[in-house]
Amino acid sequence: MKRVEDQTYYELLEVSPDATPQEIQKAYEQAKETFHQDSLAVYSLFSESEVEKIRTLVDEAYRVLMDETLRKEYDQSHLQVIASQKREKPLEVELSVKEKKTPSLIFTELSADTSGGEYRGKGLKLIRERMGIDLKSVSQETKISVQTLQYIEEEVIEKLPPLVYLKGFLKAYAQCLGLDPPKVVEEYLKALGPIKKK
Amino acid sequence: MEAVMETKEGEERKVIWAIGGGKGGSGKSFITTNIGICLSRLGGRVILVDADLGGANLHTFLGILPPALSLSDFIKRRVADLREVLISTVVPNLRLLSGAQDLLTATDTKSVQKQRLLRSIQKLDADYVLVDLGAGNGLHVLDFFLMSDGGILVVTPEPTSIENAYRFLKSAFYRRLRHLPISQEAKRLIDEAMDHKNELGIENPFDLLREIGKVNEADALRLTEEAERFHPNLILNQVRTKKDVEIGFAIRRACKKYFGIHVHYLGYIVYDQEVGQSVRKRSPLLIENPQSKAAQCIAEIASKLADGQSFFVEGTRR
Repeated sequence: MKRVEDQTYYELLEVSPDATPQEIQKAYEQAKETFHQDSLAVYSLFSESEVEKIRTLVDEAYRVLMDETLRKEYDQSHLQVIASQKREKPLEVELSVKEKKTPSLIFTELSADTSGGEYRGKGLKLIRERMGIDLKSVSQETKISVQTLQYIEEEVIEKLPPLVYLKGFLKAYAQCLGLDPPKVVEEYLKALGPIKKK
Repeated sequence: MEAVMETKEGEERKVIWAIGGGKGGSGKSFITTNIGICLSRLGGRVILVDADLGGANLHTFLGILPPALSLSDFIKRRVADLREVLISTVVPNLRLLSGAQDLLTATDTKSVQKQRLLRSIQKLDADYVLVDLGAGNGLHVLDFFLMSDGGILVVTPEPTSIENAYRFLKSAFYRRLRHLPISQEAKRLIDEAMDHKNELGIENPFDLLREIGKVNEADALRLTEEAERFHPNLILNQVRTKKDVEIGFAIRRACKKYFGIHVHYLGYIVYDQEVGQSVRKRSPLLIENPQSKAAQCIAEIASKLADGQSFFVEGTRR
């Protein structure tokens, strides 16, 4: 039993310390789904400020764990803590967690993106890059040309394929990144909506 | 005459599941009945207990008329042994302890009577005992839930159902802690925590443990350990979409953050018109239409319960 403030980033996202970026991405999606404002699962359980706090912590955990350098730094200062925890030294752990907890930084990149629909082209690109996957691999897996993928990411509207194909492509791309396909399609098209309606 | 003493062995083998969840109409009785049928078909000796003292109707789900003898005869000591109230059903290996029929007993069963009933249920000779709880989170309901080996919450993907389930879970959680041999001061703080507008600003279990830690650290530690042993189970009923299914996982995550406890998501049951049909025909779905989608969902959950050592968590029974 640990307060959210005392949980490690891994515990916050409910992933293991050796989770892959895909697993972290998935866990983050799930956490966001669970703790968003209108989520049924938090209804009447938490106060609004509590959910807000969880969201902030989850965002921070995601930001750090998806960045290779930051994650390494975090692991160095926290992972032995996690390991020693398993060897049952709760007191020490608590102390070191508190000492080493870095003040929460303001996250510019992603928070800017999330505000305007995360699954727009730019958001997808960001997620892909965080996972360290290049367009070529996406192309190989999805059978969508690199060129088209680029158009999707850059939202080059006039070059995008007809809607039916675009939907299929978005689904495949989302799947490849371990995202929720219907959600990606919905958000992407919503952002595009006023411009492209066929 | 049957041996009055139960064999120790028999007692240990038995698993008691209590099915609750706060809101009426979420499908508790329907699920209890049909899981019972599945477990008996898997070879287990099953007893269904209708503990909905105010609105007993498990017999109707099984197509049986209100039996002559029911739990209220036992509660009122008209019969001495709970086993005398047991009635058999059309399903082999499946017996029923019918709920109270009279209006009087509804919820004002005395604590002594309740204890006697709980003890007798724990002594029943069966492999599985499924206790169908009534709606609400009255003390009787909570105590049945907590005395079981595994408490199961039935929830539908609607805010009202989820709200009631959380209220139920909070009540059960705090009541479980309150049963521990702890200081009066700690008990007082638990009572305080259950008051939504308490003056200490206790909003969640962590706040409570912090406050108790201030006055009695040993109690706080004991309560934390007890809380971590609390593993309620969850069934999501009347699921219509994939998104609904996900709500079960979301509830699990939310509980982990709020209570710091692990909720087992046993499974979901899809919304199926066949269910309503079977209830109207007073014939259990598993008999009426075992091929229906809902029936298959139930069978899957039952098989988890049957070999579910992983869901059988030590220390749940008090």
